[in-house]
Amino acid sequence: MAGNSAMQLVNERGWRRGLGSMLKSELSRWWKTRMWWVQCLIWVGILGFILSAILFSSPDVPPSGEVGVVYIGLSGFFPAVGVVIIMQGVVVGEKKSGTAAWVLSKPITRPAFILSKVIANGLGVLATMVIVPAVLAYTLTAIRTGDPWNLPRFLAALSVIFLGHFFFLSLSLMLGTLFSSRGAVISITLGLLLMQQTLIGWLPFLGNMLPWKLVIPIGQQVDAVAPCLFLGTHNYSPTLIAVIALESLLFVGIGLWRFSREEF
Amino acid sequence: MNISTPYVIETQGLSKTYKKVQALRSLDLKVQQNSIFGFLGPNGAGKTTTIKLMLGLIRPTGGSATVFGMDCIRQSVEIRARIGYLPQEPHFYEYMTARETLRFVASCFFKGPKKAIEARIDEMLEMVDLTGKADRPIKTFSGGERQRLGIAQAEVNYSDLLILDEPAASLDPLGRRDVLEVMSKLRKYTTVFYSTHILDDVQRVSDTVVILDKGQLEAQGPIEALLVGSEGVVYIVHLKGEVEVARKQVLAQPWVSGIIDGQHNGESAWQVSVSDAQAAEAGLLKLLVNGPVVVTEFSRKQYELEDVFMQVIEGDQNGRK
Repeated sequence: MAGNSAMQLVNERGWRRGLGSMLKSELSRWWKTRMWWVQCLIWVGILGFILSAILFSSPDVPPSGEVGVVYIGLSGFFPAVGVVIIMQGVVVGEKKSGTAAWVLSKPITRPAFILSKVIANGLGVLATMVIVPAVLAYTLTAIRTGDPWNLPRFLAALSVIFLGHFFFLSLSLMLGTLFSSRGAVISITLGLLLMQQTLIGWLPFLGNMLPWKLVIPIGQQVDAVAPCLFLGTHNYSPTLIAVIALESLLFVGIGLWRFSREEF
Repeated sequence: MNISTPYVIETQGLSKTYKKVQALRSLDLKVQQNSIFGFLGPNGAGKTTTIKLMLGLIRPTGGSATVFGMDCIRQSVEIRARIGYLPQEPHFYEYMTARETLRFVASCFFKGPKKAIEARIDEMLEMVDLTGKADRPIKTFSGGERQRLGIAQAEVNYSDLLILDEPAASLDPLGRRDVLEVMSKLRKYTTVFYSTHILDDVQRVSDTVVILDKGQLEAQGPIEALLVGSEGVVYIVHLKGEVEVARKQVLAQPWVSGIIDGQHNGESAWQVSVSDAQAAEAGLLKLLVNGPVVVTEFSRKQYELEDVFMQVIEGDQNGRK
């Protein structure tokens, strides 16, 4: 290159080329815009409001553990809807607007493009939809009940909640590489999210493949993974964690494969 | 054409078919280093398809393309590390400012030093006259401002090859002039490959031109060679007096290949085609002046690129249907 002797050239090779630049750009989409505080506000508002109603609507102080189980169910379900809404246009939007073609005209590999979306959005979801509302929930419950949740067990439950969200994040991303319409992406992911319980009712084996039982018990018994981890009981299937993690990785893998064949 | 000059771009039989539509048919292209290469053609001619193939954004269905001697499919990232590209309709991340956009693009090429990168960004903003708007979000930019930012981001990496897809399409005349000036200035550092519909611009700055139509290369060569036109050298002569006598004298010259007659303000208007430009330059006017006519106008016919373009695209020798 002419006239750039003062510059140090990027010397990354292989699939990682451009990952740093893309990741920085994707993280700035979350943290240098109003996106992070809007998401925090939404999920702190929704989850905080419901939790406050549970904690403060009755003169009797509810048991801290029961409140925790309810909170885990709520934070495992509602923010997943937010994940689906946020992720619907992450790949499709860039394909349609032309920004993907522009970015890929720079020395940025296609895996770097996709992985930056996975990492940055994963971190954004973890922080704004899992951690921040959880801090509020922990504090409110401790104040009201005087019986703070067991922190390591609560953190283990939060990890499982995040895994459930990551399942929908990776599914949306994969569908974004397969389809060119936001409608297709959101209708499939939202349909699956909302229909999980019904599907498991029809075909019980799906209970071992869908993330529903990570956070919400199917029957009266508390047998979902996150509530069990939170309560310190062992009435859950640990393989579900591995299955959902593997499915999520498979979705990312399919997304990477499909995107590498995309024409812009 | 200097054969020893290395080619920056070379394509051989490059083809692209979308389903049943053949967007590009066996394109053979050679682009010399440090040239300003105008890529012309009507809508749907295959210009953007060719550019996308060179950038690795799409895959060819036949043939091959190399840029800097590297294969466009297997070494796409290495090629893109030396290219600057302005898309036809530039779309950037709306949440970024102009400065952040240039910072993002620069980070794809350079890892430091920060001071030098920032200086380069400032230089580019100044070049495209966006310094005053550098810290405004792109979503507030007009079409022309986006286009200028597009040019800045394409050149921020000191590219060895600048590919511009319709760079002046949405600019006003002053903006167009500025873009052409920038392109001319960059010639000593880089090769400029650009597609456009604005033939006037091509004629002003390009040194080599390719005309593409329906995915097929129709004409390629130095601009001077194309401007000579397919009719060869033609002189325009307006005259009055004993025109028939003069005609016989002119047609008797071995270097005159024909005369097309016409009328202009009551005078005879000839288009004299010649096969030997030097002999015609030395003898034609002298012959007429010494003859029984009064010559009121004498000039060598100048072709415009538009004439050549129309001839090529419409296949009509007179440049009009």
